[in-house]
Amino acid sequence: MEKILTKKSFPAWVKKLQSYTVYSPEKQENLWSYEVIQNPDKLNLEHLNTVLAPKKITYPQREIFLQFNTSKEGKPQIKEVLPEEHPAVIFGVRPCDAKAITLTDKVFGEEPKDPYYWSRRNQTILVGLTCNPPPSPNCFCLSVGGSPHSKEGLDILMTDMGDKYHIDSLTKKGEKLIKAAENLFKPASSKDKKELEKIQRESEKKIKREVKDIKNIPDKLKDMFESPFWDEEAMSCIRCGICTYLCPTCFCFDITDELTSTLPLKGKRVRTWDTCQFPDFTMHSSGHNPRPDKASRLRQRMLHKFQYHVENYQDYLCTGCGRCISLCPMGIDIIEILNKVREHE
Amino acid sequence: MNENIYIPKLAKIIKIKEEVSGSRPIKTFRTQFIEKNSFSHQCGQCAMLSVLGKGESMISISSSPLEKDFLQFSILKMGRVTSALHETEVGETIGIRGPYGNNFPIENWKGKNLIFIGGGIGLAPIWSVLHTALKKKEDYGKLTLIYGARTSKDLVFKEELEKLNKKMNVHLSVDVEEKDWKEYVGFVPQNVTDKKPSPDNSISITCGPPIMIKFVIKALEELGFKDGQIYTTVENKMKCGIGKCGRCNIGKHYICKDGPVYSWAELKTLPQEY
Repeated sequence: MEKILTKKSFPAWVKKLQSYTVYSPEKQENLWSYEVIQNPDKLNLEHLNTVLAPKKITYPQREIFLQFNTSKEGKPQIKEVLPEEHPAVIFGVRPCDAKAITLTDKVFGEEPKDPYYWSRRNQTILVGLTCNPPPSPNCFCLSVGGSPHSKEGLDILMTDMGDKYHIDSLTKKGEKLIKAAENLFKPASSKDKKELEKIQRESEKKIKREVKDIKNIPDKLKDMFESPFWDEEAMSCIRCGICTYLCPTCFCFDITDELTSTLPLKGKRVRTWDTCQFPDFTMHSSGHNPRPDKASRLRQRMLHKFQYHVENYQDYLCTGCGRCISLCPMGIDIIEILNKVREHE
Repeated sequence: MNENIYIPKLAKIIKIKEEVSGSRPIKTFRTQFIEKNSFSHQCGQCAMLSVLGKGESMISISSSPLEKDFLQFSILKMGRVTSALHETEVGETIGIRGPYGNNFPIENWKGKNLIFIGGGIGLAPIWSVLHTALKKKEDYGKLTLIYGARTSKDLVFKEELEKLNKKMNVHLSVDVEEKDWKEYVGFVPQNVTDKKPSPDNSISITCGPPIMIKFVIKALEELGFKDGQIYTTVENKMKCGIGKCGRCNIGKHYICKDGPVYSWAELKTLPQEY
């Protein structure tokens, strides 16, 4: 269902969505971040890439799994803690970040399903925004099967057309949002549709960065496991883990116990994001570490994204958002690495 | 919604046996679930044990699936959780979730000779399949155990090993010479070469430290064992147990779900990163 919404009416639409927690990108000290909207009149969808992807809402950095304590009789007790009812709408989702959510959907959706992830995910509606111009100079979605106007994973795709938005409703969840304020929307005319196509074509041309021959990369990587290439590429890494924490597709996590009291025992078990870039990630308690150095950990990051995940899920674990490039303090560039892999003998 | 996979079931420790004392202590724990549930495992599988407040640790189940009354785990005191387990007493409660991972294809081994090769605590993952084979001895050919540790004090299941001697061939070893030690002196792979188990109609199952496994495989190959006749178990740090948390992978495999049991034919096709 294709509709037109004037920019003036946009706040009125958002105001109709009171039964949801509504998120949108907000500029905070020069950095963009998805935050709960306080004032719909101040909505601004001209955001650059947010530091954290909307993954932080569907898969929060820290969440409680269970609470435990000992009863008065000294018996341990465990109480499951599932996320609260929390229907949410996220506006301004970039197509690469929506695609990333579909990738985590597959991992957490594979049997046995992850109940914490799905209780949030099922209640989240993703309203996307066509990237025109690209939100980062390091965008490369076209190289990894995406596009600045991809609909994958989205419930609605909005496209900025000057003083109005083209609204493409893609799922039942999306329809429901539009029905909440139906009178604000007009049907899209054939002129609107033509203009949309033009914008979409232009948006693709504005993506400047590219991974060459990506289809050959998984096979190429298979033969490079033992290569000294990884030592060279990892040389400048300071193992801060930013590349993985800010990645919209990275899903690795840790499970730890947090105590509030030892006697009587009281605490909770929590899940937190974790990263393959930290030595502790794989270190056995004996001290043995299958990935003992920066080179093996960079190799793991690259092979997980462009070989192992492709073998397991037939998709790259990368959507070309460019965050890991723009925000790496040492300038490690995933596109450059992949292009060097292509030329590696 | 299905059952929450991350919530452990409470189980009572009904027996603790000190296997090895000293600086690398090993204890064997028997546990019983407090509430009846459908936990049923196969040889080679693991379970995630919880000490509330300390965390979780993946431990191989050393009791046979034919043993229905309890689950048994033999645990080397090493990290935070295993140290906490070593401080527990009979009657205390721990959490268990699982079972996780694949299993030894013991049904395919009927009629074959089985050679179990273990080092140190590496006998624990083998113990379940060894006892299952012993309980159905008529289904298998000759059963042999080649097992060693650093010193005689580091051997696990000592009393059982003595009894085992009557039921199967048992060849023990210690790494360096000791007073009164009458059996083999040397590393486990050397003992394998020394005892020359025949590859004819045989399967070998080996578990121990990674370096031992590597040399045992080499020794077996030299004796004529084919890749598909050699089975081992692999270990890695684990958190979720269901192939989601991302840390126990070897290549595209997650050890917690695609492993821990591998034939050498399979394992050698994966990146050698374990």
